Amino acid sequence: MFCLCSSPSLAVTSDNVLDSDLDNSLWARSFKMATGIPSYKVILHGEYGVGKSSIFRRFMNNSFTTATGKQSTIGLDQCTRTINIGSQDVKLTLWDTGGMERMSFIGSSYYRGAHAALLCYSVNNKDTFTILSQYILDIVMNAEGAKIFLCGNMSDQVPADGSGNVVTDADLELFMSQCQDVLSGVYRVSCKDCLGLEDMFRDMAHVLHDESMSRMTLRRDFVRPGLTPDRESHHSSDKRRCC
Amino acid sequence: MDDTYDVIVMGTGLKECILSGMLSVSGKKVLHVDRNAYYGGESASLTPLDQVYQHFGKTPVGDKYGRGRDWNVDLIPKFLMANGQLVKLLIHTGVTRYLEFKSVDGSYVYKGGKIYKVPADEKEALASSLMGIFEKRRFKNFLQFVQDYDVNDPKTWKGVDPNMNAKQLYEKFGLDANTQDFTGHALALFRNDKYMIENCAQLVKKCRLYSDSLARYGKSPYLYPLYGLGELPQGFARLSAIYGGTYMLDKPVEKIIMEDGHVVGVSDGKDIAKCSMVVCDPTYAPERCKKVGQVVRAICILNHPIENTKDGQSVQIIIPQNQVNRNDDIYVCMVSAAHNVCAKNFYLAIVATTVETNNPEAELQPGLDLLGQIEEKFVSVVDIFEPIDDGKESKIFISKSYDATTHFETTCDDVLDLFERCTGEKFDPSKVKHTEETVGE
Repeated sequence: MFCLCSSPSLAVTSDNVLDSDLDNSLWARSFKMATGIPSYKVILHGEYGVGKSSIFRRFMNNSFTTATGKQSTIGLDQCTRTINIGSQDVKLTLWDTGGMERMSFIGSSYYRGAHAALLCYSVNNKDTFTILSQYILDIVMNAEGAKIFLCGNMSDQVPADGSGNVVTDADLELFMSQCQDVLSGVYRVSCKDCLGLEDMFRDMAHVLHDESMSRMTLRRDFVRPGLTPDRESHHSSDKRRCC
Repeated sequence: MDDTYDVIVMGTGLKECILSGMLSVSGKKVLHVDRNAYYGGESASLTPLDQVYQHFGKTPVGDKYGRGRDWNVDLIPKFLMANGQLVKLLIHTGVTRYLEFKSVDGSYVYKGGKIYKVPADEKEALASSLMGIFEKRRFKNFLQFVQDYDVNDPKTWKGVDPNMNAKQLYEKFGLDANTQDFTGHALALFRNDKYMIENCAQLVKKCRLYSDSLARYGKSPYLYPLYGLGELPQGFARLSAIYGGTYMLDKPVEKIIMEDGHVVGVSDGKDIAKCSMVVCDPTYAPERCKKVGQVVRAICILNHPIENTKDGQSVQIIIPQNQVNRNDDIYVCMVSAAHNVCAKNFYLAIVATTVETNNPEAELQPGLDLLGQIEEKFVSVVDIFEPIDDGKESKIFISKSYDATTHFETTCDDVLDLFERCTGEKFDPSKVKHTEETVGE
C-alpha cells in the first residue's frame, strides 16, 4: 500500500509540511514516510485500442492476451511494482484508464497527483500518433508537473517494407523536435513479443526518482480512509487520562 | 447507443455515480449518460473560476483572484463525516484509492453573535467558554453516557428509559436550553428541532457518529477531498467503468420510453437504448417529481480566513435555528488552497439554509456577517425535488435533490434506499473484488 501519511505515533508537526507550492507537493508525495520506499503514480494515456491495457497486463503479471473488451481487466485498473534502480528500490504504480475513453471522457480526477503519463500510440496506425499533441495538452492542463513519456506499441506489426499507415522514424523525429523538452523518454515496445517493456519501466523509474530526489520535501498530512491508520486508540487513551 | 442494458443511469451527480458503481459491481450491465460534457452534474466542482462567473451569468474576471485554474468551486458544499456512511462506502468499494482527503481544521457553533469551537469530548467541554462551570459537568456526564450507551445492555442505561424522547433525555441530564441547542445542531447535526419529540436513540446515535468521526483523524470530525467534491462522482464513475459500465457524456436524453406502465428504453432522438430500469436525478424526469422546498446558497470569495477560527484553513460553522429565530439551521462551510480548491491566499465560504421566507438571501445574513469583507458573492435559490412514487411500478428510480445539510449522511441514506428499491436487496460490499494488485520483483 502506498499510504502517504505518518502513523500517529510518528506524528510530525505541520511545520515540516511544504505544501504551499503545488509542484513541490506533487513530488513530495512520492515519499511514503521519511524512511519508506518512494512511490510514483504513472497514468496510461492515448487513443482507444493502442494497447494500453496490454502494457498494463505486461506490467502487472507479464501476460498477454488477444482477447478484446473488458472481461480481461475487470475490476483492475492500478498495479504497484517495486523496481530496483541500482542504488535503491522504488515503487511504480501504473494506472489504466478503465476504458472510459472509449465513448466518453476520462475526467480530471484520473490525472490528480500523477508523477508521469505514459502516452501510447500504435506504430502501425498513424492516426493514433498525430492526435498525441491533444493528449499532451490534456496532461499539461490536468496533471501539472507530470513527466511525459512516449511509447510506440505494436512494433511487431510493422511490415518489413514500412508500407501502410505506419509511424516512420522521420515522423517521430519531427514530433520530438516540435515537443522539445516536453518528453522525458521515448520508447518502442511490443506487448505481444514482450520487447522493450522491462527496459521502459526501469528507465521511467530512474527518471522519476532522479527528478524527485532533486526536489525532496516532506509531506504527511493526507488522509485516505481505510488506508490511513485511525488515531482511535491514541484518542481514547487520551480521554482516559483526562477523566 | 442502440444496445440493451439492465440499467440506464441518467445524470452523473454523486448519487447516480455511487449507484452506477454499486450496480456494475453487482453484475448489472449499466449505461450511464449525462447531458453535460463533464462528470458530476450539480455535484461537479467548477473550474476554472471563470466557469463559476458564467454559471451565475456574471462577466468573467480572468486571473483577478489568483490563477483561475487553481479554483475548483463546489455548487453544493458538504463535508464527509470521517466515520460516516460515505466514508464506509468509499472504503468498501475501494474508491478511496482514487482520492485524497484532508481533515477539516475546525468545527464551530454560533451563540449570541459569536462563534465557539464545538466541544466534542469531555476534555474540550471542560475547557470551553460556551458553558458555565456547572453546566460543563452536566454536559460531560451526558457525553460520557452517549459514549457508553448500548440499547441492548441495561447496565449502560444509567437510569435512562430507552423510550424517552430527546427532550426528556436532555432534562434527565439537566442540560439547559443553550447546551441542548448546540448538542442537537452542532453535534448531532439535526437541521431543526423536530427531533426533540422523537425517540432519544437517534440523538445518541448521531452524537456518537460525531465523536467517533472526531476520533479518527483529529482536529474535526470532517474530511474534505483535495480538488473539491467533484472528485467523488468521478471516483465512483471509474468504479462503474472498470466493472463494465459504459459512459456517454454530452448525450442529450430526449425521451424515456414506456410500455405497459414501465420503462423499456431511453431515446437520444436518434437511437434507442433498451433497458429494464432507469435510475436518474429529478432533472431527467421532472414530471415524476414534486417540489418539496427550496435551498438558498451564497458562494463567497474571501481574501482572509474567518475571524475567531484561529485562522483555520477549512472550517464549518453551524448557526442553530433558535439562535436566529428560524426553523432551520444556517450552515457555513469554508475551504481554501489547503484543499486545492482556491488560489493561494484566497478562501471560499459557502453559506446555505432551507428557504423559509420570500427574501431568501436575507435569511443568510447571520452567516454572511461572520465572514467579514466579501470580495465576490454568488447567490442561488434552487428547488428541492422528490420523486412522487417509489418507482417500483414504472421502474424509474429517481433520487432526491441535495438538501441543505453540510454532510453526506442524508445523501447516503437516499442512495442505499434507491439501491434496495431497484434491486430488491441490500448492497453487498463483499462483491467488490480486491482491485489493487501489488507485485514484487
